[in-house]
Amino acid sequence: MARSAKTALVLCLDVGFSMSNSATGQEPPFQQAKKVIQKFVQRQVFAENKDELGLVLFGSDNTKNNLAKDDQYQNISVHRHLMIPNFELLEEIQNDVQPGSQQADWLDALVVCMDLLQNETLGKKYERLNIVMLTDLNTPSSPDQLDIIIGNLKRAGITLQFFLPFPVDGGGSNPPHGGKALSREQQQGLEMTKKVMMSLDEEDVTGVCNPDLSVFKRVEKRPMAWPCTLTIGSSLSIKIVGYKAVCEERPRKSWSVVDAQTHQKDDIKRDVVYCLNDDEETEVQKDDTIQGYRYGSDIVPFSKVDQDQMKYKTDGKSFAVLGFTKQSMINRHQFVGTQVLKVFAPKDDEHAGVALSGLIRALDDLKMVAVVRYVYARNGNPQVGAAFPCIKEKYECLVYVQLPFMEDLRQYSFPSLENNKKYTPSEDQLSAVDSLIDSMMLVEEDGEKKDLFKVNHIPNPQYQRLFQCLHHRAVNPSVPLPPMDPWLTTALQRPLAVATRCQAPLETLKKKFPLKEVVKKKELKTSKELFGNSLGTGISTSLAVWERVGLHSSLGTGSSASLAVWERVGLHSSLGTGRSTF
Amino acid sequence: MGRESSCGPYYQLRTQKGGNCIVGIPSLSSQELTSHLPKRRLDVYTSKIISSDKDLVALVFYGTEQSKNPRNSFKHVYIYHDLDLPGARRVQDVDGLRGEKGAQVAGETMGSGNTNLGEALWCCSNLYSDIKLRLSHKRLMIFTCRDTPHGGDGERDRQARTKASDLKETGVVIDLMHLMKPGGFDVSLFFCDVVSPPEDEAELGLQMEPCGKLEDLQKRVRAKEMKKRSVARLNLCLGEGMNVAVGVYITALQARKPNAIKLYRDNNEPVRTKTRLYHTQTGSLLLPSDTKRVQVYAGRQIVMEKDEVDVIKKFSDPGLELIGFKPMERLKLHHHLRSAVFIYPEEEMVTGSACVFTALLRRCSERNVFALCKYTRIRNSPPRFLALVPQKEEVDDGQAQIVAPGFHGIFLPYADDIRTLDTPQLPTASESQVDKMKEIVHKLRFKYRSDAFENPVLQQHYRNLEALALDLMAPEHIEDLTMPNVNMMDQRLGSLAQEFRDLVYPADYNPEGKTAPKRKPGEFCGTEKKPKVEMSEDELRGHVQKGNLGKLTVPVLKDACKQFGVKVTGTKKQELIDALTAQLTK
Repeated sequence: MARSAKTALVLCLDVGFSMSNSATGQEPPFQQAKKVIQKFVQRQVFAENKDELGLVLFGSDNTKNNLAKDDQYQNISVHRHLMIPNFELLEEIQNDVQPGSQQADWLDALVVCMDLLQNETLGKKYERLNIVMLTDLNTPSSPDQLDIIIGNLKRAGITLQFFLPFPVDGGGSNPPHGGKALSREQQQGLEMTKKVMMSLDEEDVTGVCNPDLSVFKRVEKRPMAWPCTLTIGSSLSIKIVGYKAVCEERPRKSWSVVDAQTHQKDDIKRDVVYCLNDDEETEVQKDDTIQGYRYGSDIVPFSKVDQDQMKYKTDGKSFAVLGFTKQSMINRHQFVGTQVLKVFAPKDDEHAGVALSGLIRALDDLKMVAVVRYVYARNGNPQVGAAFPCIKEKYECLVYVQLPFMEDLRQYSFPSLENNKKYTPSEDQLSAVDSLIDSMMLVEEDGEKKDLFKVNHIPNPQYQRLFQCLHHRAVNPSVPLPPMDPWLTTALQRPLAVATRCQAPLETLKKKFPLKEVVKKKELKTSKELFGNSLGTGISTSLAVWERVGLHSSLGTGSSASLAVWERVGLHSSLGTGRSTF
Repeated sequence: MGRESSCGPYYQLRTQKGGNCIVGIPSLSSQELTSHLPKRRLDVYTSKIISSDKDLVALVFYGTEQSKNPRNSFKHVYIYHDLDLPGARRVQDVDGLRGEKGAQVAGETMGSGNTNLGEALWCCSNLYSDIKLRLSHKRLMIFTCRDTPHGGDGERDRQARTKASDLKETGVVIDLMHLMKPGGFDVSLFFCDVVSPPEDEAELGLQMEPCGKLEDLQKRVRAKEMKKRSVARLNLCLGEGMNVAVGVYITALQARKPNAIKLYRDNNEPVRTKTRLYHTQTGSLLLPSDTKRVQVYAGRQIVMEKDEVDVIKKFSDPGLELIGFKPMERLKLHHHLRSAVFIYPEEEMVTGSACVFTALLRRCSERNVFALCKYTRIRNSPPRFLALVPQKEEVDDGQAQIVAPGFHGIFLPYADDIRTLDTPQLPTASESQVDKMKEIVHKLRFKYRSDAFENPVLQQHYRNLEALALDLMAPEHIEDLTMPNVNMMDQRLGSLAQEFRDLVYPADYNPEGKTAPKRKPGEFCGTEKKPKVEMSEDELRGHVQKGNLGKLTVPVLKDACKQFGVKVTGTKKQELIDALTAQLTK
């Protein structure tokens, strides 16, 4: 079964003494690396998939590996063999993984990892083998074996990924901005890593992945295909396959109620009883109840059976075009439903592909949409929705969104704002608003359009926080919950650059628009404390950088200049397996 | 005018609990009783029943010959229905007044006589004062087709005006629902002094035509009416110390069937449900504080207090927090999660809000940007980001508002909400193929209106209820507007469909064929459909003794567990085997 295909991954962590060195005010590379590993393992544990994980430490005080002989492969320790990660591993990382006082060659460590992967995956099926190397490259290493190692990696199909505590630019050995210059070892090491990555990449071009977010992107849930036929009238049909493209993601597990003393679910039972509306509250059996609906002052008994018999029925899935209309006739704010579908032709059906492409391009040229009747399955509720054309560089599709029924609309009217003299702003006031907008533009117009705040790159904070707390409680059962991760708080705030820029316009705005709270309700006192204490420290910001390397600039914390930026050299997004967000 | 009198005041009261009352007073003319008049009222009844089932409604006719009211102190006023919840019986009553036959019935029971609106209003005010409930909203609707009900009798006009102002003083809103009248209905002749000015909307220059209200009433038939009520009133924080008060409204949301009520079978009385939590061992009732919450991951049980579970969801206090602005083209069409909200200033909370809001709205709209905000609806609700899209007010020729001024808040997806799809690599259409499709699209153009489609599921449900309540033989037929009108489409397309097919499909291709070798349903659902292989106890014991339970498949093992009442906690094969072995070797 394809779904059981799993990944084997070895985390290879440098614990050598150079990892404990850091410029003043910065977190040592070791601590940063440890946090990355913790986050990653935490994610894997909560994802509860079959992916296996090993942990190799190098530069450790002890030596524990299969290859160690004489003075070969010393100070490399296989801390954990390949197995499904669990809370014990998290505890070990928290308590036992400490910086060592030795050093080891990262290439040697790489060989140990390869050896581990090869031995322990024998006879089992894996979708992917992967090694993740976390090091500052600050150890001398001998490049003579490099080509053999690259050859072996290729042959075994192992992908490799590096996490380094300094930025790697395409140009080569320029000193990194802000931080201290790289040591000679680091420069040499960097050249070697680049060589490894380059030569691996040629083999495996398809694996190239945008480094943005690949760390956080969840790939676990396989989209369910919805095969159907698009019909126009009775004689024109096109085979299609729909996929959910956007939909509110919820955690798979929910809370269950247990007894406070025993923590056993079975000790508690929830019971629903029905009783008459009399003084005695006479209980009646569930079987003696029927259902009804209110019809004015009456309640009309309407049994489930009758209801099923009389209800509106549909006779199967449908994606039938009712007609075409101008895109401008569809109001964006009237979209209803909780999902967006993308509709393609089936993978192996090029004729359907051509036909659908004809429709998509025609609609795109005419700026029109298809209004369709959508039924998910037999006896599913019918929807009316709009199928928009969507043409991307790599693919074409229809984007389907549900539109409201008459019953869904609420025709509220609101007092006019423009025609009311009391509310009409003066030119002066309008220009104050203008300068606020100018100072708070999140998309910079000049040159490359850079978006400082992409919501669709932020992991859902609710789950990030939930898993942070679950992790904490699992490992420290009796300790109060930790405060919010500072990077998370920062990620949800106005980017620092914007916050600074808008200070002056905001002050002007305050002067131009007198606002006065109508006192009497206490509910108004809120939100003043919101901003005060939430700015992260330097260290926490750098953690954010770790988390989402590609995002670093778009999150725009603005304070990155002096931080040690760990950047990934790897082009393979191997850390992105498993459920990557919480 | 041929009709001497056919007017009906209608009033509606809202209780504090959200209940609503309507009293209708139609009057009857001696000769003709327009059949559409009772029809209107019937529609209002049926619509009221579905739209707001807690409203009290009364129906009073005036200008009748007969009188029927407490102590019969008012002449020519006939209380057809007292102020009460409308029910099936009343609908049937009013239904009886429909059509020619109905007019006859009405003529017989009530007749047609002098018109005295003042008396009728007085009578209505008594109806209101007799109600012991606290009403949140009182409304009186006058249905009439005569702009001069007293035919120029100044004394009666004056009396009616006085009574009307008395009523208005007690908080009753008087609406005019005038019906068609040849030559136009001139409100200024008399009724302008009787009806209430549009409430707080007075200063907005929003004068709805009375007939518009009537259409409104009819339009609302069989759609649950939603009162304009904000889901939250919050601060929109532009920056520290700059809080603008706004209300959050919902303007489009999927309407669902109302909830069913549980009834006792013997007398069809509603029953109450009580949920109880008790300890399985001791049987004692538990308080919520006697419980904790648990999730299990990687075999470890993680325990939290209920409060902790709640507080984890808290990020910030309720409010809207401005992050910044973006050009409109940055708002992606496919970034849709749920129905949008509508944001409008709340001047009563923070004075000056409306002015800031207006300025912001205007400049965002003119500069074609949207505001990005963090939205926390209530305490302990995790944040979501909204794109606040400006919408300027639009009015129609009659100065009625078509589009309200304010911001639409579009919910934006987080990274988790966007799924990665494998996009198929397929050939694209040629120009001639696209052009042919354009012809097809052209032929099937129509003007979409968001209120053009009724939900057939809901409509059918309401019709069914109506049929049951009113003892109809069969529910009224619904027109399913979601079904494509295939005949008409084929006709319009003519040979175009065939031509397009010839252009894109080879001769031997069947676009209706199955997409893939389809799995049989049985296969898909796994074991469920397979005939169950019941195993005898002996057989099973045999397996246990030989120790080859492992040869059986998991479903068979599960079935065996069920069969012998073995409780299994896990689903792993070994767990099943262990449980069975334990049970059968006892």
